[in-house]
Amino acid sequence: MARFIDQMQLPSSFATGEIETGPPEPVRVIHAAVEGRARLEVQGLYRCQPVRRKLESALRKHAAIREASANVLTGRVLIIFDPARDLEEIKTWVKQLLPDAGQEIILENPAGDGHSLRSSRRPVSPVISSDSNPVLPQDGKNWHVLPGDTVVAALETSKELGLSQASAERKLGYFGVNSLPETPPRSELSIFLGQFKSLPVALLGISAVLSAATGGLIDAAVILGVVVINAGAGYVAESQSERTINALGHVAKQNAVVIRDAQLREIAAESLVPGDILVLTPGTRVAADSRVLESRNLMVDESMLTGESLPVAKRVNQLDKQNVSLADRVNMAYMGTAVTGGSGLAAVVSTGRYTEIGTIQSLVGETRPPETPMQRQLSILGNQMVLLSLGICGAMFLIGLVRGHGWLQMLKSSISLAVAAVPEGLPTVATTTLALGIRTMSRHKVLVRRLDAVETLGAVQVICLDKTGTLTLNQMSVLSIHCGGRRITVDKDVFYDAGARIDPYQSDELLRLIHAAVLCNEVELNGERGNYVLKGSATESALVHLALAAGVSVDALRQGYPREQVEYRTETRNYMSTTHRVRGGGKLVAVKGNPVEVLEMCRWWLKDGTRLPLTETERAAILMENDGMAAEALRVLGFAYVEPKEADQSSADELIWLGMTGMADPLRQGMKELIALFHQAGIDTVMITGDQSGTAYAIGKELGLSGGSELDILDSTRLEQLDAEILTGLAQKVNIFSRVSPANKLQIVQALQWGGKVAAMTGDGINDGPALKAADIGVAMGGIGTDVARRVADVVLEDDNLGTMIVAVSEGRTIYNNIRKSVHFLTATNLSEIMVMLGSIGAGWGTPLTTIQLLWINLITDIFPGLALAVEPPEPDVLRRPPRDPREPILGPADFKRYGLEALTMTAGSMASYGYARARYGGGQKASTVVFMTLTMAQLLHAYSCRSDHISIFSHETLHPNRYLDMAIGGTAALQAAAMLVPGVRSLLGSTPIGPLDMVVIGAGSALPFFLNEATKDVTFKGKRSQELLSLPPPSQEYG
Amino acid sequence: MMKQDFMFTSESVTDGHPDKLCDQVSDALVDRFLQQDPFSKVIAECAVSTGILFIAARFASSASIDIPEVARQVIRQIGYEQGDFNAKDCTIMTSLTELPAPSYPFSDEREMSEEELESVTAKNQANVFGFACNQSAAFMPLPISLSHKLARRLTVARFQKQIPYLAPDGKTQVGVEYREGRPYRIHSITIVATQEKTSMRGVGPLRDDLNAHVIEPVFAAEALRPDSRTHIFINPEGLVAGGGPSLHSGLTGRKNAVDTYGEYSRHSESALSGKDPSRIDRVGAYAARHAAKNVIAAGLAQTCEVHLAYSIGISRPVSVQVDTFGTGSIPDTEITARILDRFDFRPAGIIRAFNLRYQPQLFRGVFYHRLAVYGQVGRMDIGLPWESTDKAALLR
Repeated sequence: MARFIDQMQLPSSFATGEIETGPPEPVRVIHAAVEGRARLEVQGLYRCQPVRRKLESALRKHAAIREASANVLTGRVLIIFDPARDLEEIKTWVKQLLPDAGQEIILENPAGDGHSLRSSRRPVSPVISSDSNPVLPQDGKNWHVLPGDTVVAALETSKELGLSQASAERKLGYFGVNSLPETPPRSELSIFLGQFKSLPVALLGISAVLSAATGGLIDAAVILGVVVINAGAGYVAESQSERTINALGHVAKQNAVVIRDAQLREIAAESLVPGDILVLTPGTRVAADSRVLESRNLMVDESMLTGESLPVAKRVNQLDKQNVSLADRVNMAYMGTAVTGGSGLAAVVSTGRYTEIGTIQSLVGETRPPETPMQRQLSILGNQMVLLSLGICGAMFLIGLVRGHGWLQMLKSSISLAVAAVPEGLPTVATTTLALGIRTMSRHKVLVRRLDAVETLGAVQVICLDKTGTLTLNQMSVLSIHCGGRRITVDKDVFYDAGARIDPYQSDELLRLIHAAVLCNEVELNGERGNYVLKGSATESALVHLALAAGVSVDALRQGYPREQVEYRTETRNYMSTTHRVRGGGKLVAVKGNPVEVLEMCRWWLKDGTRLPLTETERAAILMENDGMAAEALRVLGFAYVEPKEADQSSADELIWLGMTGMADPLRQGMKELIALFHQAGIDTVMITGDQSGTAYAIGKELGLSGGSELDILDSTRLEQLDAEILTGLAQKVNIFSRVSPANKLQIVQALQWGGKVAAMTGDGINDGPALKAADIGVAMGGIGTDVARRVADVVLEDDNLGTMIVAVSEGRTIYNNIRKSVHFLTATNLSEIMVMLGSIGAGWGTPLTTIQLLWINLITDIFPGLALAVEPPEPDVLRRPPRDPREPILGPADFKRYGLEALTMTAGSMASYGYARARYGGGQKASTVVFMTLTMAQLLHAYSCRSDHISIFSHETLHPNRYLDMAIGGTAALQAAAMLVPGVRSLLGSTPIGPLDMVVIGAGSALPFFLNEATKDVTFKGKRSQELLSLPPPSQEYG
Repeated sequence: MMKQDFMFTSESVTDGHPDKLCDQVSDALVDRFLQQDPFSKVIAECAVSTGILFIAARFASSASIDIPEVARQVIRQIGYEQGDFNAKDCTIMTSLTELPAPSYPFSDEREMSEEELESVTAKNQANVFGFACNQSAAFMPLPISLSHKLARRLTVARFQKQIPYLAPDGKTQVGVEYREGRPYRIHSITIVATQEKTSMRGVGPLRDDLNAHVIEPVFAAEALRPDSRTHIFINPEGLVAGGGPSLHSGLTGRKNAVDTYGEYSRHSESALSGKDPSRIDRVGAYAARHAAKNVIAAGLAQTCEVHLAYSIGISRPVSVQVDTFGTGSIPDTEITARILDRFDFRPAGIIRAFNLRYQPQLFRGVFYHRLAVYGQVGRMDIGLPWESTDKAALLR
C-alpha cells in the first residue's frame, strides 16, 4: 500500500499527464467484463518495446495491480487488479505512465494502429536511447502504397548500388539481427544448481549437519554422498534431455543474395538490414519483408503466410489502398515465402521480429510453458513426504523419550528415519524417464520438443488431422473423366471406358477436353520429353500429367495456341479462362473451373464429335454426375471452350461444354488401420479439410473416422462467426470439419479444449502456428512442415508419417505409467521403512535399523530398481486402454491407500522376522541384520509387483520382460549379499553373518508379502472396468 | 355432427419460415436421393437456429449427395443470401448414418404381383387422416386454402419485386365465419411480414403494399371477400427486421397443420417431410386424402374425413373409418365399403398408385421439395396424383 501511495504522488505524472484533450484517447478499454481484469489499448505501445517495459514494470509496482502484461504486437495491456478498485482508476494510472514513457513515441505512432503514413525519419526519443536494448522498433509502415523510388530513398539505399558494407553494418547495430526470436536454452550450471533446490535435498542437508554436530561424521558423509549422487544423476539426466530438446530447435542457417557496394553478395540471412536489395530467383526463400522494385514475372508462393495455395504474381507499382490484406499486397515479398518463378529485386523494409512472420511467431511465442503437471505433482508429493516424515520423526522422537531412550540416540534415529522417508529418488526418476522417453521416441522418428509433451501424449483424447498432406500424399491425379455423356476412368495413365481400354485419340470430345485442360493451365513444363518436371499447383500439374499420359504433346500444343490473356478465378467467379490465338486467324477461349458455374455459361455440348444443344435433361444429368463424382471424394473441374467469331468475341454464353475431370489426392497407405488403432486406444479422430462435404464424407467413410457410428460433419466457411459455446458443444461430436480454412484450426482446437478434451493437432503451414501452439499436443511434419510449424509444435514427426504418432502415444502412456510405477515403488518402500521404525519403537523394541542401514536401503535398493522400473517396456494392453483422465492426479487417494496396504504387508513380514530374531538373539546386531535383510529383500521383490497395477503374476496376460529391472534387482541383491560377506562393508553397515534358519525366515518374511500383494492386485485396481467399457459392441442402427 | 355456426382460423407460413425451411431441406434431400436411386431409404431431419443448420440423415442408397450443398441451394433459393443467416456462410452440421443396404434386387412396386404387394407391410404404426370438403375448388377447408394463397402471394410479391423490401420469412392467417356449416364471411386476415434490415418501411407503407399486392390479388377471384367488418391485421406485434432463422429457430415437422388441413380436421402427429415413400405415416396421409377427395367429388358428401390406422407388420390398414359429419348422401358405412373396394391402401399399393419413387425424376429433382411449402394436400399447381378425382366415377 505504501508503494501505491508513492506512485500516486509522483509529481511528474501529474505535471505532464493531462493529454486527454486530444481526440484519440490514449488509453481505451477493450475488454473489462471480468471484475479485476481489464484489457486496455494504449497509444504508442504498438511495436514499441521501451513503452512495454516501462508500462509493465511501473504497473506491477502498484499494490492494487497483481499482474500487468503488455503486448507490442497488439498495442494492448492486460491488467489484473484488485477488484475493489475502479477501472477508471486503473486507466488513469496507465495514462499517467504514458507521457514519460513515450511522448515521442506517441508522436511517431499517432493513430496507434501502425497503418498511418509517417515521415521516414525515425525519431529517437530519449527513452529509447537510454534503454539498454540496442534494437530499435521498426516502422510498421505501409510500404505497399509508396512508389518504389520513395521506398528506396526512405531506406537510404539504391536499387543499383545497394547499401554500402559500412552502412549495412551500422544499420545492423541499429536495427539488430534479422532473426526470429528464440527462447534461450538453460545453462549447464543452472541445471546443476537446480538439482539442489528441492525440499528433500534441503532436509538431507539439515540431517547431515545434525549428524555431524552430534558426532556422526560417517553418517553425515554418507548423507552428503546421497545428496551428491542424486544431484549427479539428476544433472546427467536433465542436461541430456535439455540437449535433446535444444538440438531440435535449431534450424539450418539461411543465406541471402543481396546487392551491396554495387556487387552481388551472398550473405547470412541474419545480417540483412532494412535497405538491403534482395535478388530474388526461383527457389530462393525471401529472407526479410521487402518491397518489390523489379519483377520479371516474379511469382511467389505465399501459402505459408496467407494459406493461398496458388503462387502470387508480384508487381512493382504502388497500391492505392492502405488497408489491404497481406495476400493482396502484390508489391511486397514477405519473409518465409518462396520464389517459384520469374525473378526480381526487392528492398528489405523490415527484419527480424518486425517482419510479418516474426509478428506471427511472437504472437505464438509470447508465453513460456509452465512446469509440467506431473513435475508439479511430483514436487508436491515430495514435499508432502518431507512433511510427513518430519511429523513422524517428531512423533518417534517423543515416543522414544517417553519410553526412556536417551535423547541423543533418539535424535539420531529420528534423523535417520527422516532420511529414510524422504523420497530423494523422485525428481531424478521423473526427469530420467522423460529424457529416456524422448530418446526412445526419436528412434521412432518422433521428435519431442517439450518435456511436458511426453506426459500429455499419454493423455491425448482427441487428435485433429489435417487432410491434405497428413492423411493424403498431397499429390493430385485425375482418376475419372466425364465427357460425351460417358464416364471414363484413368488408372495408371491408361484410359478405360466401362472397363475396356480406349485410346483418347479416338474420342474427339475427350481429346478436346484434354487440350483445354492443358491450355487453360499455368504449369511450367521443364526438362526432356519423357522426363518432364512439372512446376505449378498440384491440380494443374495433374491435368498436364493427364495430357502427357494421353500422348498429347503439351509443348507443341501450347506453341500452336499462344496464350494472349488470362482471367483468374476470383472470390465471386469460380473459374479461370484463357484466350489463345489460333494459327491462321481466329481465337480460342478455354474455361476451367467449378462445374456448376462453367455449365451455366454453356449452351452446347459435344457428343461423338458433334455439337448439340444442351437441354435441361442433359444439364441435370451432368449436375448429377458432378454430385456423384464429388461424393466419391473427387475434386471436380468442369471444362468448356469456344472459338468465337471475330464479330462477337464477348459471347461467353455460347460456350461448348466439354466435360469434367475428377481428381483425388490419394490417401496415404495404412491410414485406415491407423485410425482404427487410435479408436482402439480410446482416442477420437477429427479430420479438418477445405473440401466440400460430399468429398469429406467419402473420405471419412473410407477411413472409418466415426468408428462405425454416425458420421458428424460440420460444414462451414465462416466458423469464426459461430458462437463459441455452440462450437464447443458441437466440436465434441464432430468427426469432420469441412470447407474450413487453416485459420479456423485454432477455434476448433480451443472448442475441443473448452469441452474438457486433451487435444492433439497436426499441421505444417505457418497459419497452423497458433493452433499448434494452443493444442495440448501440436504435431508438425518434419519434412514438409514449415519452420514456424516445427518451432511451435510439441512433437515433430520427422518422417512425415502419421503412423508414428501412435508410437508416440504408446510411448507417452508408457512413460507416464512407468513414472507411476517408480513412484509407486519408492512410496511403498519408504512407507514400509517408516512403519518398521515406528512400529518397532512403538512396541518398545528399540530402533531396528541403524542410520547407515536406512541410507543403504534408500540409496542402493531404492534408486536402481526405481530407475529400472522407469524403463519398463509398454504393457501389452497400453493401446487398448482409454487415455487417462487428465484431471486425475498422478497418484490419487486410492493409490495411497493401496501403497499403504502394501507397505503394511512388508512391515508385517519384517516385524515378524524381527520378532523371531529378537526371540532368538535378544536384539542387538544380529536381530538388526535379520530385519535389515528381510526389509531389503521384500522391497526388491516389491519392485516386481510394481511392474503393473493390473497384471499380476497370477494373470493370464504376461508382461514383456524388463532386463534392466532383472539386472538392477540382481545387482542390488548381490550388493546386499556383499554387505553381509565383505568385512569392510559389513562393519560399516553394522551387520553380522546369518545362519540358514535366519535365511528361511528372511525368505518367508520377504516373499509372503509379495505373494499377498500380487494376489490382491486385481481387486483394488481400476483399469479393468474401463477396458470392458471400450470393448462393448456399438449399438444397433437398424431401429427406425 | 359438425357444429353449424362457428368461427375457424387457420394459418400458413412462407418458404422462409424456419420450420418450413427445415421441411424443405428435408424434402429436397429426399428428392435428391430418390432422383439418383428411386429405391433409396432416407430419413432426413433438420433443425435450424441462428447461423447454424443441423441435418441428421439416415439413409441406405446408392446415390451420392453433397448434403450441405443441397441445403445451401435450398436456403439460397428461398432468398437468404445476406444477413446473419445466409446460404454461403451458415454453418451446417450433418450427422450421417448409413443404414444397412436394402436387399437386392430391389422390388419395384410397379411390377409387383398381388402376393408381393400384400407382403410389403407397414413399418411404422400410424393413424393417418384424409379430409376433403366442398368449401373451395381444391376441396379444402376455406381458412387454410386462403392462408396458403396469401402466403404464396406474399412470396411472389417479394420475388417479383412488387414489395422488394420483404424478407423471406412470413406468416398469414385467415379467420372464416361459418353459418350452418358453410363459410359465411371473412372474419379476419392477419399477415406478419418480415423486412430486410437495410430497407425497413413503416407500418403504413407496409399495410398499403400488402393490401395492394397481396390481399387484393388473392381475393379478386374468391367468392367470399373481406367485407367492411373484416379485421385486417398487418404485423400486429410490430415490424420484424430480418426474421428467419436468425430470429427464431425451426424444426422439421413442426408445421403439420399447415401441411394438411389447417387443424380443420384431424391430422397425424407424425411429420410428412423428410421421409421416403416407404414410410406409411407419410404416404398413408396422401392415400387418405385421395379417398376423401374422391368421395366429395363423387357427390357422396359435403365433408368427409377418412381415417386409416396402420399397424406395424400388417400391410392393409387395420381400420378404415369414414366420417361425413352428417353431410353424406349415403351412410358412412356404405362409403367405407366403396372406398375399400376402389382404393388400395397397402404401402406398396400407394407407392404404385402414386408412382412415388419416380416422381422426383419426373419433376427433375423437385417433387417432395415443392410439397414442403403451401400444403402437402390440396395442391392444384403440381398435378399431384392424390389430388386427382379419377376414382369419383367409380364411387358413385
